[in-house]
Amino acid sequence: MSNEVLNYDSDVSSLRTSSPAGLKVLRYERRVLIDDVEALWDADITKKLQDFIKLEEGWDGYRAIPVSFTNAVFALRMLEKIWVPGAPAPAIVPGVQGDLQIEWHTAKGDIELHVLAPNVVHAWHAKVEDENPDGEERKLTTDFSIVADWVRDVSENHAGA
Amino acid sequence: MANSPERPAELPDFESPPLNEVVLGVQFNPPKGYRQINAGEVWGLFRSEFSRVEDREPLAPVFETFGLPARGTRFEMMTGPSHDRFWFLRPDGTELIQFQQDRLLHNWRKVESEESAYPRFERMMTRFSDELARLEEYVNGLASQSLLINQCEISYVNHIPFESSDEQKASDWFRFIDFGEHEPEDFSIGFREIIRDAGSQPQGRLICEFKIAITKTGKRVIVMTLTARGAPLSPTKESALEFLTKGRGLIVSRFADLTTDAAHAKWRRIK
Repeated sequence: MSNEVLNYDSDVSSLRTSSPAGLKVLRYERRVLIDDVEALWDADITKKLQDFIKLEEGWDGYRAIPVSFTNAVFALRMLEKIWVPGAPAPAIVPGVQGDLQIEWHTAKGDIELHVLAPNVVHAWHAKVEDENPDGEERKLTTDFSIVADWVRDVSENHAGA
Repeated sequence: MANSPERPAELPDFESPPLNEVVLGVQFNPPKGYRQINAGEVWGLFRSEFSRVEDREPLAPVFETFGLPARGTRFEMMTGPSHDRFWFLRPDGTELIQFQQDRLLHNWRKVESEESAYPRFERMMTRFSDELARLEEYVNGLASQSLLINQCEISYVNHIPFESSDEQKASDWFRFIDFGEHEPEDFSIGFREIIRDAGSQPQGRLICEFKIAITKTGKRVIVMTLTARGAPLSPTKESALEFLTKGRGLIVSRFADLTTDAAHAKWRRIK
């Protein structure tokens, strides 16, 4: 499992101008060890998103645009918050408007996340044994706690843990 | 330019805070029709006051998202199409605008001459609001669109002396630090708090960082950086400015909470 040596990372300092005083900040080594499942998610998802960013305009034979870097990074930050140990990696497909569709389909249920833009996510979840055939729909912005619960629900490995 | 609003009466105030740099900024969806070649036109919006220009490495998009507790790892950052970041600077270098295809930031920074005092938040906000309005008008001219702001950020960077020759201890400055008899040679501390909206939903984070640094003159300082970052309640300029105002209040209050009464006396706390 995960062996995190340091669990705080900063990206704040990039906005600063490094100060005209010629400031030199002492840097600290960071080392993070991650488990195989997370590494699989990471490699798989990152590669796909990277490919989608590089799509050429008209990649669908019509007028589709590539996934924007901004949207891809937002999707990545969203996925970090819904990663559940043992869950399968989702399928990711690009949309023609630069949007993203992220999906899980397992024996226990389905999840579809439509990332239209940063802070604009349409989420849908249906359990196989659910009485509601239409499932549950949510419009989400930055809080993906409920999706993490859904991922836990459809994850077979986690269910057996 | 509109008059600057008044400082809220309830906020702590200091006559001589150890402030070194303040950054106000927004991140937005890249506007339709904008290409790197348009950067000169954007500079033209601000050039009368910010007559110097410098090229910088672009900033990657940053988002505060919420869900499962932070596990300390981040999925690998991708690389994307590279659009330069530009600094548009005043001749004296005290203030600058940072611009790239998805960011607009306004920095004030202390310079060595120290002739230019911190213009205070209200005045900076008035300027930034005006700059944001100018940019929005420009992108609207590109493709009949508004700026869709997805994150806002405000940072206060303080430089606090930390010279062993003066026998200064971290606990002299900060309430939450006490190394006892074993004062370390250096340290790096960080923590984050969730910022919530009126309905208690997570909106962003207050990020507090403390690091030892060395100035150009060889003096050791504790760099205390307090940053409020999060999504505006709607993607508009007005909502973004509301977040920045809220973030400023949180930062100033937390600065007073984290620092000692003795430090407040040195910085001449007046409220």
